[in-house]
Amino acid sequence: MTFPLIHVPVLGDGMTIALNAVLHVLISHGVAIGMTILIVLFQNLAATGHGRFWGETARALLKPVVVITTSVGAVTGVGIWFITGILAPEGIGSLIHLFFWPWFIEWWAFTTEVVFLLIYYFLWDRLAERRPRLLMAVGWGYVAVALSSAVLISGILGFMLTPDGWPQGGTFTQAYFNPTFVPQFMLRIFAGIALGALLILGWTGWRFRGSADERGRVFRATGLVMLAAMAGTALFAWIYFSRIPGTYLTHWKFSVATSVWSQTPNLLPVLNGAAVACLALAAVAGLLKRRGAAMILFLPALILSVGLVAEFERVREFVRGPYLLPGYMYANQSRMVRHEASKAEDRPLLATLDWVNETTDKAPAARAGRALFDANCGVCHTIGGINDITVRLRGRTLESVNAMTAITESMVPFMTPFNGSEEERLTMSTYLYSMANKDTLPRPQLQGEVK
Amino acid sequence: MEPWKDLFLALPLPEIWLRILLFVTFGLHLLFVLLMLGTAMLGFVFFLRDCCAADRTDMGWNQRMVKSHLGLKSLAVVLGVGPLLIIQVIYSLGFFTATGLYAFTWLAVIPLLILAFLAIELFEHKMLSRPWLPFLSGAIGLGALLTVPAIFTGALSLMERPGEWTAFAAKALSPTSVYLPHWILRYLHVLGAAVVFGAAFHLFFTAGQAPDKRARLHAWLFGGILFQVAVGAPLLFTVADVFNWPVLTSVTLGTIAAMAMAWTLRPATAQTPAPARTGRALLVLLPLVFVSMLAARQSLQDATLMTLHKEARAELTRESADLDRFRESALKTFRLKLATVYDNGTTIYEKSCQPCHGVGGLGDGPAAKRLLIRPEDLAAVRADRDYVRSMILTGVPGSGMPYFTVFDKDKIDSLLDRMDKSFSLFGPTTVPRREVGEPARDIWKNTCATCHGLTGRPSEFGLTLQPAPPDLGRFSLEPERSLQIITDGYPGTVMQPYRALPESVRLDLVSIAANLRR
Repeated sequence: MTFPLIHVPVLGDGMTIALNAVLHVLISHGVAIGMTILIVLFQNLAATGHGRFWGETARALLKPVVVITTSVGAVTGVGIWFITGILAPEGIGSLIHLFFWPWFIEWWAFTTEVVFLLIYYFLWDRLAERRPRLLMAVGWGYVAVALSSAVLISGILGFMLTPDGWPQGGTFTQAYFNPTFVPQFMLRIFAGIALGALLILGWTGWRFRGSADERGRVFRATGLVMLAAMAGTALFAWIYFSRIPGTYLTHWKFSVATSVWSQTPNLLPVLNGAAVACLALAAVAGLLKRRGAAMILFLPALILSVGLVAEFERVREFVRGPYLLPGYMYANQSRMVRHEASKAEDRPLLATLDWVNETTDKAPAARAGRALFDANCGVCHTIGGINDITVRLRGRTLESVNAMTAITESMVPFMTPFNGSEEERLTMSTYLYSMANKDTLPRPQLQGEVK
Repeated sequence: MEPWKDLFLALPLPEIWLRILLFVTFGLHLLFVLLMLGTAMLGFVFFLRDCCAADRTDMGWNQRMVKSHLGLKSLAVVLGVGPLLIIQVIYSLGFFTATGLYAFTWLAVIPLLILAFLAIELFEHKMLSRPWLPFLSGAIGLGALLTVPAIFTGALSLMERPGEWTAFAAKALSPTSVYLPHWILRYLHVLGAAVVFGAAFHLFFTAGQAPDKRARLHAWLFGGILFQVAVGAPLLFTVADVFNWPVLTSVTLGTIAAMAMAWTLRPATAQTPAPARTGRALLVLLPLVFVSMLAARQSLQDATLMTLHKEARAELTRESADLDRFRESALKTFRLKLATVYDNGTTIYEKSCQPCHGVGGLGDGPAAKRLLIRPEDLAAVRADRDYVRSMILTGVPGSGMPYFTVFDKDKIDSLLDRMDKSFSLFGPTTVPRREVGEPARDIWKNTCATCHGLTGRPSEFGLTLQPAPPDLGRFSLEPERSLQIITDGYPGTVMQPYRALPESVRLDLVSIAANLRR
């Protein structure tokens, strides 16, 4: 490993990325795409003579959309680069070298998108009355660029789950336009519109200032859009998940429910069903202009939709395990080919780690053990935090820890194999054993291979 | 088509073009960063000044000024992605190492920026209301905002100093005496530039023709330029070791332009400003200063990092050639994994259990050789389904048996079905037909029950053992295996050998144990 190995204590790497990514997805999909599409639609209705209140509603919604999108959405978007650059430099560095041009073009799309949004916002008061059709054009310009940006990023995101042979397949288009590309893009767009409609539904219930009739019309339009978008989301979610290899997808329940809750197999399907039902009810309440019901259902529907977004992203990230880039790199950033060389020739890993944290442990063996843990296991496990390795190994004997580290990739399908020499594996096992059994009585010590 | 080998070696453009692209994109980003910072700084200072004054008529102008922050910051953030992309390609080694060593400070940029942006929005929104809220939000927003360039300049300064990396890593965030002055001066230089560009921007865009506002901005612009010269001179000394002709040329040109700008804005003319002439001078000189300073900065950066980067690429190429012979086996490993679906008991047993318990469940798998406590002979087990499920889910503390909650309930059920089919795991216990003698009953009561309990449920003492004895009311073994354990003990556990007992007594004990299963 050429770069410093950083792992976030307590929270863990995965949760750190997830917190930032879920917030970003909620805003980029729900606010920047979903809400803004509806705002443009409302402004169109005003511009085409369906009532001034459509324009006033759109204007009232636009400022918070712009502030949230540019303050939180954009920063968390760049934040993904910051976090992955720290936590997985080998992984993100590899991707950037290969996918430079799609990312570079996406950057311009992203910039154009922001410019359109700023023009739409700052020129609204000047154009809404005098030149509404020009404002319409700016609005649709924004939508077109936002969608093209989503197309570009979907290919980059999606290739990581390319079912077979990436990157050994050899071509860029195979990796980029893989079978999950179209359904993932469509799924994200429809889900974003559904989420945006839900947010506007809540706003209409709680904050709308016009007459009851006008509110009813906004409710009906929003509820209709939300129902249609939900149907699209469901269809493309089904297509998307049907295209992910069973090797990966079979772990979806564990990835979301984790150890304890995955033992109740119907829990997730029931929860997902309840969440979808709650969202559908909120949409129907809007469609039927039931203000009270929409207001009551809004908050639970919002919380559940956040849960659904988090669940989707979690499954998407988890099910490709044990790979960061299938066929090329393991989740711990160890390249498969390096691991094969290490396995074949008992090559040590420590000698290739340019940066070992000198301040963590003072004893050389402990420092080596910690460095090997960081390099091999630290991307998923912490010591003392989420997915604590000391809890996982507590009560196990030293030789059993050593046996387990030898068969990780077989024992648990999404665990990476140990990378390093046999001697290093024993060093790491000893370190983990001592960390896991700090407060217990002495255990049997390793006595070599037991015949 | 030749498969990709090492993705770090895939360059999208020749390096020279990447450097030019970086210059342009970083320039765009930096320009909006400076405008954003300058707007926030000047907006807050003017707000404080007008708050203290009795006349608050200028507050509306302050608000207009801060309103532009929304657009400026949006463009600053979005334009930052381009140079970030290119830096990660052409300065991979330096960038990932420096930000890695900065790790959590680097990550702090995300919450700091969100806090700063939202607080400044509130500052602008509430500026005309009661002063305490805009003061508080403005102070928080500006404080957070000004912390971010400190982090950026710190990380970039470290990136350009590979010689400092080891010492920095050892001391975490305690920079050395050489690095610290450079960082501080560089940070101050950014703040000074922000004042200069912010003041110039508002001179053109928000001040209009109002003489008092123009005079105020003129003063800040003039002061900012002098500050830049004062900070810039010692800053040059901190980079003296990598000075070269392109840097010297750029710095000289930039300094001359800055001095010319200061001359144009000198207080004597500022009192009677000639807006058109000053404006034209600024439009020519400011871009010149900006481009010169940017060119100097990138020349300094390239001087160190491009050399480093070439070395890293050469090393990577060597390694890639060395690893070529292992690519086929890596591909084979991946294909094997891709074809293995852990959704059925057969695969789960084969992959997760067989390494220790063996193909025939005899406890003789290849990994068993490493274990002090031998894995149980599954073919000899006759137990309750739920009991075996709990052992799989919780493992057996004190032994090598890990827990397998990584598989959901349906998969565990499938595994249990598979094991039952192969080993009759949940079949009835085979109870030997023999009369149990009194000596064996006494031994069970006085010795075995100490751990196993009279009814087969482990005693309180037994439960303190690692591993604890199984619950013989729910878990039994075939007589041969049971006799073997009683005779030879269970190595690695406290179950000792009782081979000194007569065989008839041991057989009686086997019978007692078999009869305990409920």
